[in-house]
Amino acid sequence: MDLSMLWVNYPYVIAIILFSLGCMAILTQHNLIKKVIGINIMETSIFLFFIALGNIKGGVPPIYDPSLPENVLYINPLPSTLMLTGIVVSFSVTAFALAVIVKLYYFYGTIYAPNIMRMR
Amino acid sequence: MDYILAYLSAKLPFLVILFVLFICFIMPVFARWKKEVTPYLTLFAIGVAFAISLVLAYRVAGGEIIRYHVSDWRPPWGIEILIDELSAMMIVLLTGCSFFIALFSFRSLSHEIPDAATGWYYTLYLLTLATMIGMVITNDLFNLYVMVEVVGIGACGMVVAKGEKLSTEATLRYLMLATLGSGFLLFAIGFLYQMTGNLNYAFVAAELNRVKDQYPFLIWATMSFLTVGLGVKAALFPMHIWLPDAHSSAPSPSSAMLSGLVVKVYIVSMIKIYFVVFGFELFTDTYMRYLILFLASSAILAGSFFAFVQLDLKRRLAYSTVAQIGYIFLGFGLGTVWGITAGLLHIIIHAFMKVCLFLSAGAIYYQTGTKKVTHFSGMGFKMPVTMAAFTVASLSMVGIPLFGGFITKYGLALGSLEANNPYFIVLIVLSGLLNAAYYFPIIWQAYFTSSAGTTMTMDTIPKTMLIPIVFMALGVIYMGIFPGRILFFLEHFVIRFL
Repeated sequence: MDLSMLWVNYPYVIAIILFSLGCMAILTQHNLIKKVIGINIMETSIFLFFIALGNIKGGVPPIYDPSLPENVLYINPLPSTLMLTGIVVSFSVTAFALAVIVKLYYFYGTIYAPNIMRMR
Repeated sequence: MDYILAYLSAKLPFLVILFVLFICFIMPVFARWKKEVTPYLTLFAIGVAFAISLVLAYRVAGGEIIRYHVSDWRPPWGIEILIDELSAMMIVLLTGCSFFIALFSFRSLSHEIPDAATGWYYTLYLLTLATMIGMVITNDLFNLYVMVEVVGIGACGMVVAKGEKLSTEATLRYLMLATLGSGFLLFAIGFLYQMTGNLNYAFVAAELNRVKDQYPFLIWATMSFLTVGLGVKAALFPMHIWLPDAHSSAPSPSSAMLSGLVVKVYIVSMIKIYFVVFGFELFTDTYMRYLILFLASSAILAGSFFAFVQLDLKRRLAYSTVAQIGYIFLGFGLGTVWGITAGLLHIIIHAFMKVCLFLSAGAIYYQTGTKKVTHFSGMGFKMPVTMAAFTVASLSMVGIPLFGGFITKYGLALGSLEANNPYFIVLIVLSGLLNAAYYFPIIWQAYFTSSAGTTMTMDTIPKTMLIPIVFMALGVIYMGIFPGRILFFLEHFVIRFL
């Protein structure tokens, strides 16, 4: 196992760390708003992963330009465009979760999960 | 005229989603303007989708595998729709069952959710249905992810529509875990894209076959991410914690839809990804098959046991779903022709049984206001038709011959013999006994412990609620007596991938 690979591919490492942090926030935080923040951290880390996937060092945007040399590298635009959809999905999930939390606050008067469990 | 017909029949695989989505998006207008037409419009949309699915299934039964390229982009780049035997079976099942559930919600809905929300409820209902159809017929990984998210949001919306404390809380938990699951799914799709550079199932499979020796760890990680991601949503045993709350606190039509249909489409996607993309060898070589076998066995035992200790009828049914999901995964984990076919058949049979049971629970609540299983005394004389259907579905759950559930158990037993692993027969028999332990007391009370005399009175629930229940019970009996055609149909699918 070559550890220098970790350094070269640092965006992937950061994505994995952020993903784990987000998962942990969703599962362990008691404050419901913090859980929603956890969802956002997790999804953002996936966006980072995908965008790093499409990037090439020294690549140019994939637009044809006759003035560029023949052997120029173009970056892959597909992962970035996929993530546009991902952002929309993440946005709607966040909005829905916040709306549900507002309703819970209206019912229980708190957004602290253990208090809600106790009041049941 | 001929030209139009030919054009439409070429577009049919796409129309089945598009038509339902179109009606879904114009539904809010009707919800505000003419609320009384929304149920009719829903029934119309699902009816048309059902007709289209039957045509497609007929074509698939003739040996054709239907492919359609969305806006004519060729497969490596564009989104492809592919309808094979499994997808054809699923779209007929989804549209058929949801037609009856919509018929049931016609009258029961105003009883269970706020009046202002009924029009919007049908919007969510059609949205969930359309994206579920999309999930089973798509052949593109990223498209699958988008559909998964929309199904998740639609299903959560159908639970929260009740507007009560418990259902709101259950929705939040469902939403959190579903989002966690789709995060894992998207990460796995990212890994697959990194390894192969494709998103279409067939192209990913071809490329993966070439590079699989290069990335042993990454393949292992991808498979575990997929199992967690789709397993959370399909409520595979240790990840089932959101299910009982969400399914039991939802309005009855939503419970039927969620328990009978929504959890199944995730399993179908999982089966498709494992068999089509990874291939059966990789599925066994990474030991993922044994993990699923283990989780499925614990799901069957633990789900039945938890169901046994519940006193709320809908909670008992929800935990029973956890156990029944275990059967489907068990067949899938056994990895033999009989096992997998029986598991797939159980998707249909369990849909009929669970929709019948949840709708009966809703009908019983509608007429008598009973929610507890201890208050069923004399129910068989107050609501004879509903209780008869309930009894049929329960007997099928236990696995009595002539009912659908027996065919699955028999198939799974044959499958475990084929896999040289007869211990699973013990498990199947044991779980049948456990099922009997929590379904038979209800039936016993309903028929044999009447304190209020034994005069028979007819059910007073509306006909639109009675008809779906009866049809689902008839479906269970039909599957128990004539399972042959559908078994052969599914076997074609299984044999191609083993």
